[in-house]
Amino acid sequence: MSTEMLAMILAGGQGSRLGKLTKSTAKPAVPFGGRYRIIDFALSNCFNSGVNTVGVVTQYQPLELNAHIQNGASWGLDEKNAGVTVLQPFASREGEKWFQGTAHAIYQNIDYIDLYQPKYILILSGDHIYKMDYEAMFNYHKAKKAALTVGVLPVSMEEATRFGIMNTDETERIIEFEEKPKKPKSNLASMGIYIFNWPTLKKYLVDSYSTDGKMEDFGKDVIPAYLSHNEPTYAYAFHGYWKDVGTIQSLWQANMEFLEPNNELNIGDREWRIYSKNDALPPMYVTKSAKVNNSMVVDGCYVAGDIEHTILSQNVKVGSGTVIKDSMVMPNAVIGKDVTIDHAIIGERAIIGDGASVIGTEDDIAVVGFQEVLGKEVEDE
Amino acid sequence: MRQNNVSAIIDLNEPSDALLPLTQFRPVGTLPFAGRYRLIDFPLSAISNAGIRDVGMFMPRSARSVQDHVRSGDAWNLDSIRGGIFTFPYVANKDYSDPANRRRYYDDYLTFLRKSDSSYTIVIGARNVDNINVQEVQQFHVEGNNPITVLYKRQLPDKVNANEEALNISDAGDVTTIMKASEITPDPVNHMVPMHMGVYFLRTSLLIDLLQNASQREEFIRLPEILHEALEVYNANGYEYTGFYANINTIKRYFDANMAMLDEANYQALLFSQREIFTKNLNEIPTFFSKGSDVNTSLLGTGCRIEGQANHSVIFRRVIIDRSAKVENSIIMQGSKIGPGSKLNYVILDKGVVIGPHLTIEGTPEKPIIFEKNMSVLRASDIKKGVQH
Repeated sequence: MSTEMLAMILAGGQGSRLGKLTKSTAKPAVPFGGRYRIIDFALSNCFNSGVNTVGVVTQYQPLELNAHIQNGASWGLDEKNAGVTVLQPFASREGEKWFQGTAHAIYQNIDYIDLYQPKYILILSGDHIYKMDYEAMFNYHKAKKAALTVGVLPVSMEEATRFGIMNTDETERIIEFEEKPKKPKSNLASMGIYIFNWPTLKKYLVDSYSTDGKMEDFGKDVIPAYLSHNEPTYAYAFHGYWKDVGTIQSLWQANMEFLEPNNELNIGDREWRIYSKNDALPPMYVTKSAKVNNSMVVDGCYVAGDIEHTILSQNVKVGSGTVIKDSMVMPNAVIGKDVTIDHAIIGERAIIGDGASVIGTEDDIAVVGFQEVLGKEVEDE
Repeated sequence: MRQNNVSAIIDLNEPSDALLPLTQFRPVGTLPFAGRYRLIDFPLSAISNAGIRDVGMFMPRSARSVQDHVRSGDAWNLDSIRGGIFTFPYVANKDYSDPANRRRYYDDYLTFLRKSDSSYTIVIGARNVDNINVQEVQQFHVEGNNPITVLYKRQLPDKVNANEEALNISDAGDVTTIMKASEITPDPVNHMVPMHMGVYFLRTSLLIDLLQNASQREEFIRLPEILHEALEVYNANGYEYTGFYANINTIKRYFDANMAMLDEANYQALLFSQREIFTKNLNEIPTFFSKGSDVNTSLLGTGCRIEGQANHSVIFRRVIIDRSAKVENSIIMQGSKIGPGSKLNYVILDKGVVIGPHLTIEGTPEKPIIFEKNMSVLRASDIKKGVQH
């Protein structure tokens, strides 16, 4: 598709509802599923869909995200005259370009987008777990001759009250947008995925910022403006696994779903692989005293304890006598001996000392933060 | 700091007949090892960890597996704008009575060495499992009296084969000749024999001279023989390597070295040392251990699905061990599948082997049963397709 369509991944969110896990990293850089970070799904979907030019808009704590994305080679996004660019707020003669909202972030990066002169622009969020063919959505957008196509997920009517809901006519054209409606008229929830005709969107943004500057957010400002100006706006329904992992609870839930052998996400599908940047680590070592059941383990792990319905990420060490159940352990965490962990998320590089306990419940997941140290020191095995 | 002080020559033309059928379509250097590596990762990592960026790789007859694994060398930081990996095609089956072919053989080496503009060169094979500190070797060489340094590992005579090469070290500490292990008197104190590791370190200018002189000779002489001769002419400094070491030259060695990695001390010492072992990184999903799986004392790659048992085994990427199957004391390479209820003990499965349901295959520690790449073993009568040396 070359740069006919350019993608912008909004990865600046603080993810404050992830608490200690995002204290020093952006939400899209949060580890997921043992070998991934959340943004890997959007980046891999881009590559698999033939979208080869991607801007990643960062703002909050971008260090880890930068280190992760580098030149994009891990996702095949390192082509000449294309590839991935990490975009950060910068100062210019007009002042500092901090992003006030999703649409404002695009406005602040008009220069980058115009380098490639795309006809279309794909707006993605960096914090969803899903596999989606953007090319199919793009074909839909062109077939409908739309100015804007919104990716929507059919949800149950009860859930619809929690989302931005698109009300459509019989041609799938959006006639009304309601944010978290008390009495939803439709079940088409916005996924925060948009395809715009770039010249039209650019005009809306530039006009707005040369006057009242109200086009800050796609959901709150841009879509209502498109609807009131009668721009052809359509809803493209996505069918498949999609999860917003914006809270501790949903992040834990998504990881537990990832463990299910018949999970709809189908991570093992080699036709639509999810790529990531990982260190080449030694193979995992499962010792004589270990017991591993209904769990996922990856390279670099050392397992001497009892692991049940749990994901261990890269380079995690688990001492003997330790029992971990219904949990997700992030990369490089070191867990000592005789530790009990239940219904928990253990942050990156956390250290859990011998004999410590981290106990949560299904409704209240326990969290140990990034680099947090719990209990006394871990003795070398 | 400039990084072209040392260049490296990796010669992948190494005898491999004793490793058949595993070396039918690959050189010793690309034999899979310890659940995730290829043997060539060890020299490449040693080179990379020493900051060496000029590497000449002299390719074996079957070069495909080498190209596929090494690619641009980026996994070892060998794809920098300066230096990098230079590959030279296989020439060993040429008729060397023809002077033009002889000239070509030496020219490849000479061209690489002159272009590298390096002061020193390390010549290394790809058959050793070890973790060499090349900078320390360089330091040792600079302080030594002789123009060549050769590496050795002390081993007990009962751990080596009688005709493997060992070093004869004089009382003054100089290496004077290379002999068969059986001809060397073990050290009276530790009863060990200094085994030749086939690794040389010398001035690049000297290596260029040696190659040029060889090219003037009537008979054809290969690089390892040139170095062997030079060692005996000049004497050499003997650098003792003390880490984990295995010279993979027989099936038994290959099997034992993999099993040795299941000893936690070896696993930690070789793979988690200060000097990392790098390898090609692959995007693989996590390994899934199902409910009721039972895995002990084993190494596993990613992308596996384990429903049955694995005990004291080395299991590579994307292996499936079906329910109630049992794998013990075995090496299972990438993509192999073991059907439900089958039992394997002392078995080596090359890549992509399919073992059907309810079969029992039993080798011995001395003679594991080997199944070639992509073989299907679906019924009891197929088990005889396995090779036992």
